[in-house]
Amino acid sequence: MNPEPFENLRLELRRGSVVLAVLAALRREQYGYTLRKTLSDLGLEIDEGTLYPLLRRLESQGLLNSQWREEDKRRKRFYLLSADGARVLEQLLAEWRSIDRSLEEVLKEQSHGND
Amino acid sequence: MEMIERYLEAVKFWLPKRQKDDIIEEISADIDSQIEEREAGLGRELSEAEIESILQHCGDPMKVANRYLPQEQLIGPLLFPIYRFVLKIMFLCCLLPTWLSSIWIIVYDHVYRAQQIHTSWLAAFASAWSVWLTTAFVTAGMVTLGFAVVERIQQKSHFLDEWSPRKLPPVRNPNQIQRSTSIFELAFALLFFVWWAFIASAQTIHLGNSIRVELSSQWVWFFWGYLALAAANVVLSSANLLHPYWNLRRASLRLLSDFAGAALFCLLLRAHVVTGFFAASLTNDQSLQVIHVLDSWMDKAFPWSIVVSLVIVAVGVYRVVRVKPQGASTA
Repeated sequence: MNPEPFENLRLELRRGSVVLAVLAALRREQYGYTLRKTLSDLGLEIDEGTLYPLLRRLESQGLLNSQWREEDKRRKRFYLLSADGARVLEQLLAEWRSIDRSLEEVLKEQSHGND
Repeated sequence: MEMIERYLEAVKFWLPKRQKDDIIEEISADIDSQIEEREAGLGRELSEAEIESILQHCGDPMKVANRYLPQEQLIGPLLFPIYRFVLKIMFLCCLLPTWLSSIWIIVYDHVYRAQQIHTSWLAAFASAWSVWLTTAFVTAGMVTLGFAVVERIQQKSHFLDEWSPRKLPPVRNPNQIQRSTSIFELAFALLFFVWWAFIASAQTIHLGNSIRVELSSQWVWFFWGYLALAAANVVLSSANLLHPYWNLRRASLRLLSDFAGAALFCLLLRAHVVTGFFAASLTNDQSLQVIHVLDSWMDKAFPWSIVVSLVIVAVGVYRVVRVKPQGASTA
C-alpha cells in the first residue's frame, strides 16, 4: 500500500485533535517544553515546530493567556487556558464526543452488516 | 553553542519583524530545555554532534519560521481551477498560434527573411523564441496579476459565496445545435450564395462604376468551389435547423465543408488571381502598385490563414469525435 495517502490522512486527523489536546492540557499552567513532554508521555507526540506556532495562534484568538516568568534561573513563557478558551474547549469536547459516538455507531453498523 | 546561535539567527531572518525577538527567545528556551534534560540523563555535557542532532530535529530554519507566518496565497484553491483554465485558453488561442505563425514566417516568408535575417537560421529562431517567451511571460503575468486582485477582492467580499442553484446554467447537450446559430448560418449562406453568384461569376468584376478588377483564369475554380460550398452550407444549415442535433454524418459533412472552405481560402491567398486593377483616378503604374500591395498582403496573411484553418479543422474534428449516438440526433 502507498503510505502517502495514509500519512496525509493521519496528519489531517491529528490536526484538530492536537488543538483539543493542547487546550485540555493547558487547564494547568505549563511552558512549551513541559507541555510537549506531558503530551508525549500521554502518547501524543508533537514537534516544537508545530506546537509553538499553534500556541501563538491560540493566544492571538484569545483562547490562551501567556506570560514570561523566571524559573530555575531561566526565563520561560507559561501558557494557561483563558476563560474564553475554557468555553471553547467545552464546546469542542462536546463535538468530539458526538463525533466519537457517531463513528462508533457507523462502525457497529458496518460490523453487523458484515456478519 | 555557536551552532545554536547560528541556527537561531537563521530562523530570525525569516520571522515577522514585530515578533522576532519574542519567538526566538521561546525557541531558544525550548532548545535549552532539551539540552538540559539530555545532559541530566547522560551526566555530562553534550557534544557538538549531539547538539547538531537536536537542531536537525528542530527543522530547517526557513520551514520553522514559515510556521509562524500567516498562511497567504496569491491565488486560493477556489479560484485556482479557473486560473488554470484561463491560462490554458490563453496558451491555445493566443500563444500557440503566435508561435506557429512566427515559425511559418521565418521559414516561408522570403520578404521577412530578406529584411530580418542577416545572420543564421538558428539566430532567427532564437530571436523568434525569445520574443515568444517574453510574450508568454507577460501574458501569464497579467493573468496571474488579475487573478491575484480578484482573490484579494474575494477574500474581503466573499462574492463567490453568494450563489443560487437557480442561477446555474442548464445542462448542456454536446450534440445540440442552437437554433439561432442555424438560422444565422442559413441566412449567411443564402446571402453569400446569391451575392457570389451575381458578383463573382465573371473574370472581370466591377466595383461601382469606376473600379474594374481583372482576374486570372484560375478564378473560375475558386468561384465554383465557393458557390458549391455555399450551396452545401445552405442544405446543411437547413438540416440543422430542422433536426438541431449533431450526428456523425452531419458533423463529418460540416468538417469536410469547413476544411474545403479553409483550404480554398489558403489557396486563393497564394494564387495571386488579381491580374489587373483599373480605376479612373489611377495611372497604369499606380494600378500595378495596387496589385503588388494586394499580393504582398495576401502573402503576409497566408501563415495566419493556415493557423486559423488548422483551428477550424481542429474544432470540426473535435465535433466529430464527441458526437454521441442518441435517439434525438438522427436526421
